[in-house]
Amino acid sequence: MNRRDFIKAGLGIAAAAMLPRRLFGAEPEKAVGPAVAVARGERTKLAKGALDLLGGMGKFVKPGDKVCIKPNISFAANSDCGATTTADMVRQVVRLCLAAGAARVVVFDHTIQEAALCVERSGIKTAVVDEAKVSLLTLTKERQFVDTPIPDGKELKSVKLAKILLDSDKFINLPTAKSHSATGVSLGMKGLMGVIWDRGALHKVNLHQAIADLASVVRPDLTIIDATRALTSGGPGGPGKTVSLNMAIAGVDPVAVDSYTVGITQWYNKSFTGKGVKHIVAAAEMGLGEIDTAKMNIKQVTI
Amino acid sequence: MKTDAEAAPRRARSETRVRALRWLIQLFLLLLFALLFGRVRYGLSPDFTDVFFRFDPLVFIVTSIATRTLLVAGLLSLAVVAGTLFFGRFFCGFVCPLGTTIDLADAVLRRKSPPAAAWRRGKFLTLVFLAAAAAAGTSFVGFFDPLAILSRSLALVFYPTTSHFAGLVSSVRPAVFAETMLALATLLVILGLGFAAPRFWCRNLCPLGGLLGLASKFSLLKFSFRGDCRTCGLCEKACPTGAIDSQHRKVDAAECIGCLACLRACPDHVIRYAAKLAPQSLDVGRREALVALGSGLVAAPLARSVVHARLQGRLLRPPGSIPEPDFLNACIRCGRCMKACPTNGLQPAILESGFDGLWTPRLVPRVGACEKNCNLCGQVCPTGAIRNLPLEEKTYARIGTAVVDRSRCLAWEQDRACLVCDEACPYNAIDSRNETLLGTTLGRPFVNEAACVGCGLCESRCPVDGPAAIQVFSMAADRRQTGWYKTPEKARLRSCGDEPQEDIPSGFIQD
Repeated sequence: MNRRDFIKAGLGIAAAAMLPRRLFGAEPEKAVGPAVAVARGERTKLAKGALDLLGGMGKFVKPGDKVCIKPNISFAANSDCGATTTADMVRQVVRLCLAAGAARVVVFDHTIQEAALCVERSGIKTAVVDEAKVSLLTLTKERQFVDTPIPDGKELKSVKLAKILLDSDKFINLPTAKSHSATGVSLGMKGLMGVIWDRGALHKVNLHQAIADLASVVRPDLTIIDATRALTSGGPGGPGKTVSLNMAIAGVDPVAVDSYTVGITQWYNKSFTGKGVKHIVAAAEMGLGEIDTAKMNIKQVTI
Repeated sequence: MKTDAEAAPRRARSETRVRALRWLIQLFLLLLFALLFGRVRYGLSPDFTDVFFRFDPLVFIVTSIATRTLLVAGLLSLAVVAGTLFFGRFFCGFVCPLGTTIDLADAVLRRKSPPAAAWRRGKFLTLVFLAAAAAAGTSFVGFFDPLAILSRSLALVFYPTTSHFAGLVSSVRPAVFAETMLALATLLVILGLGFAAPRFWCRNLCPLGGLLGLASKFSLLKFSFRGDCRTCGLCEKACPTGAIDSQHRKVDAAECIGCLACLRACPDHVIRYAAKLAPQSLDVGRREALVALGSGLVAAPLARSVVHARLQGRLLRPPGSIPEPDFLNACIRCGRCMKACPTNGLQPAILESGFDGLWTPRLVPRVGACEKNCNLCGQVCPTGAIRNLPLEEKTYARIGTAVVDRSRCLAWEQDRACLVCDEACPYNAIDSRNETLLGTTLGRPFVNEAACVGCGLCESRCPVDGPAAIQVFSMAADRRQTGWYKTPEKARLRSCGDEPQEDIPSGFIQD
């Protein structure tokens, strides 16, 4: 064995020794933080890619579970505008739930614009109709909500929550990544305003804290952010600048998922982190999750 | 050769059959009218739903006079006039859905038909009144036309009721209207007049009945007495419109609606429906006619009152509404646009546009805004008061302009991160600008007037209690009789909205 061979072999062994850790994402020193799964690449496989990093949908949805999924369907805008979750992402998540054995899946939202037009224009109506066990629910009436106290709320003491949450075993929040003229970004926690009746009430108080208050009582079992494209200005309704990212970010910790997503692109042509968004900071201060990306267990995959 | 005695029972059978056929036709057409009305709904094709109105000669004539424009959509109604000149006033007895509704109510009330009253002239007088007022520049046809009355009753009385109950068991949102009771009262009075006499409205008041009655005087086929009449008077008692004078063996062609009740009532079958060329004489009463004429001429200017609309500046007409005086004349208050509006934002005006503006549609954004992706009101308007615009063109047909009331606005007055108006605006017409007031820098809403079309979504979503802190006023509303709303300049402005110049939202923490 000459020197060159020795070096080659040494490098080979070293590489082999490192390989399993890269392959299986063990990295034990970082594993203490909440897991955030980031999938990039082929749009039609992003949800599965991200979920597989978290152990698969079967880890969240058990056979027989009644699941409700809340995409953002707030606007009667064409999907390309980036104001709503893409129909394709909704379909992916619905199918994953069904494959995991969900007894029924309800896709719902309390839209801002006329509900019938929102579900039609966003394409989400046609995305769910072909599935058995799947239904689309738009919340348009106060009786579809139920008064719920917010014990830790600083700005909001109670809120009317969608009954469908109580009628379901699992709640998956499926927002789209977009900018917001008041809150800066509208991701997972901001999207929770679609599960309450009186959205206006939050604007009459400190909105940022109120969103955190809401997040303290509405805890999704899973948050998946559709970042196939992000509306990085002109949000939440658009039109604005849309950036193609081909990403999905998933996790259980709503603060971590939101905070990580803030950093994946520029907003209003400027770079921010989760610590630069008031409502995410407020949620972290309430102990709702991890805001520091350095302390997260970030798992990435490219499909 | 058959004897009369043999022929009589057969004739009686065929008369019964014809009467049953009449009921079938009536009920079918009433049902059709209601079903077509029900199809006036977002998501369904509005084609043919206005077919009844196209065959309404009263609407055609009065609207054409008042607007000084031929109502092309109503030209087919001349076929009804032509048919009347041939068959008589069959429209009232077979077709008119309000007439059928009255027949059904009369069947419940079971009142005896009184002999012909002198005020049967009333229907000719309302006709004269409508024509005179139209000539003087105001159309009142919507208040008197039977199809408009029934359609409006369906829109403002029936629809809120049915949608209320549908809403109890489904996700249907109940329709709510600013004015329902006057519409209900109108219908109840018309049906309740049946206490005085069956078909009271049709024989004494209906101007369409008057118009067709006028034509019936000249009709080729008429009912008449033939052969041996015992003057028993049974036919006269059976006639729901008092058309028969059995003593003098006369049938007034203007009153007869061809219901065939007399044929069945007559024990001797002496009443025949046959060709009779000579027209009957008509006595409207010269003095009464002059009074009706004068009333129309006086009512025309008096009913017009724009004072309220000018003061408030909040009379928002549906997108594509023609200029106001013609709009009021073309609108027949059928309520179809209000039924069609998917947001319930189109509401009946009460006095907001003057006395004769009653039941005309106005957008009330606090109830519901004008949806960007909907142009149904223009599609269902039977007279073109709201133009039938393609969807994109409609988005350029400006209704008004939003104005921020800073003294009520959460962002301006209370330093709240609100901007719900900006969030809701589908036209990117609201800009959030960071403004510093008393040391607080915060995104506050500004209206970009060039981009605003007045759809009112901002006003509908404004979280402030009571009147919204952003309201749409009718200023800069684009009202055209003809021509297009979209201009290259407006289109360019809108495409520039793709990358708006925005301030960094206050939701971000900045150094």
